[in-house]
Amino acid sequence: MGVNPFEIIKEYLPFFASGTLFTIGFSLAGIVFGTILGLLVCFGKMLSNKWLSLPFVCYIAFFRGTPLFVQILIIHFGVVPAIFHQSNGIASGIIALSLNEAAYIAEVFRAGIQSIDEGQTEAARSLGMDKVQAMRYIILPQAVRRVLPPMGNEFISLIKDSSLLAAIAAPELTYWAQAMGAQYAIVWTPYLTISFIYLILTLGMSFLVNRLERRMATK
Amino acid sequence: MMIKVEDLKKSFGDNEVLKKINLEVNKQEVVVVIGPSGSGKSTLLRCINLLETITSGHVYIEGTDIADKKANINKIRQDVGMVFQQFNLFPHMTVLDNIMLAPTKVKKVSKEHAKEKALELLGKVGLAEKADAYPDSLSGGQKQRIAIARALAMEPKMMLFDEPTSALDPEMVGEVLDVMKQLAKDGMTMVVVTHEMGFAREVGDRVIFMDGGYIIEENEPRQLFEHPQEERTKAFLSKIL
Repeated sequence: MGVNPFEIIKEYLPFFASGTLFTIGFSLAGIVFGTILGLLVCFGKMLSNKWLSLPFVCYIAFFRGTPLFVQILIIHFGVVPAIFHQSNGIASGIIALSLNEAAYIAEVFRAGIQSIDEGQTEAARSLGMDKVQAMRYIILPQAVRRVLPPMGNEFISLIKDSSLLAAIAAPELTYWAQAMGAQYAIVWTPYLTISFIYLILTLGMSFLVNRLERRMATK
Repeated sequence: MMIKVEDLKKSFGDNEVLKKINLEVNKQEVVVVIGPSGSGKSTLLRCINLLETITSGHVYIEGTDIADKKANINKIRQDVGMVFQQFNLFPHMTVLDNIMLAPTKVKKVSKEHAKEKALELLGKVGLAEKADAYPDSLSGGQKQRIAIARALAMEPKMMLFDEPTSALDPEMVGEVLDVMKQLAKDGMTMVVVTHEMGFAREVGDRVIFMDGGYIIEENEPRQLFEHPQEERTKAFLSKIL
């Protein structure tokens, strides 16, 4: 054993620190944009007009039905250069994670909304609320509570999936672990280190979601 | 005239549930609809505020045809309160917020005003102390009284009751019926679908017997219960009285 693992970790500490921030940043961006976009896609898919809802059905089919890794490659080497005339790993990463997350969030929301008893809508409408008011004040608040646990799962998956962005040289955790591994021709030290960091991030996320669940409970 | 139903038909697919219904309800009248399950009485009630689409015919609320595409159904529904068999309280809100929501969001009443009115209504249904409770912590009878208060908060001109006591334990039926009796006494126009024959007899101005999608017979309660004219009415009453 030629190198001391603690020496290397110390050397790479600034990179792991910034890598962790990037991983958190990608995840947060994916969660925020994915949730907003996912809600829109969800409403789009629930439109009663079959033709109007078709694009949203296709959107979900594509992003759930193809590998995220392939989507990242298409967006990074195809879509982003075509639009911005240059490639940018960070922009590609945020776009790919958000678009992919939106498809899953849309389906989670749809399940949540459809699980709310029809009588809730009827009661709201019978009081004179229009469709939008009934959705906003009655259905969505209840649906959000109900989908918190599956949403938490999605967010945890997202944190882990952001590691795929290493392939397009986005400077997140896995990217730096690969760099470290390549520089010193080692396996255990870099990958165990980032595994530990990912574990802290995902456990932190499930802790946050649990707390939110408890805070939103009505009784 | 508050409600006028004209040649109303309603089908679910091939199943015709209402077959040419004609009905008029006058101001301050209490009309009780009885009949075996599947007779179409709940569907009739739900057509009156367009919770079910109308297949053909007309329903007029204070002269406005609600089947007309140009009718503003959200505006009309503000005048037609509805109470459901399953209460349908909003479980994510306190009792007070349940009652205040529609007045503040739909009618744009100020919060202070809505709260004052809500507390007054809660007193009226005997549940003033439950203002800050969540629906899940209430009994069925309490839930239904809150649901009545919630509907009344919009100051409707008429109220529809869809089997309001059918989901209740027997010992809670009385407290809900008492609230409804008081409402009738105060002059509310009411259409009540129910199996409570005692209520029909005591409070109803008119009782309508439905079967198989038709109104078979209608009369003032004593006449209908004691001297039913139609065979089907007699058969139904002999089973339940």
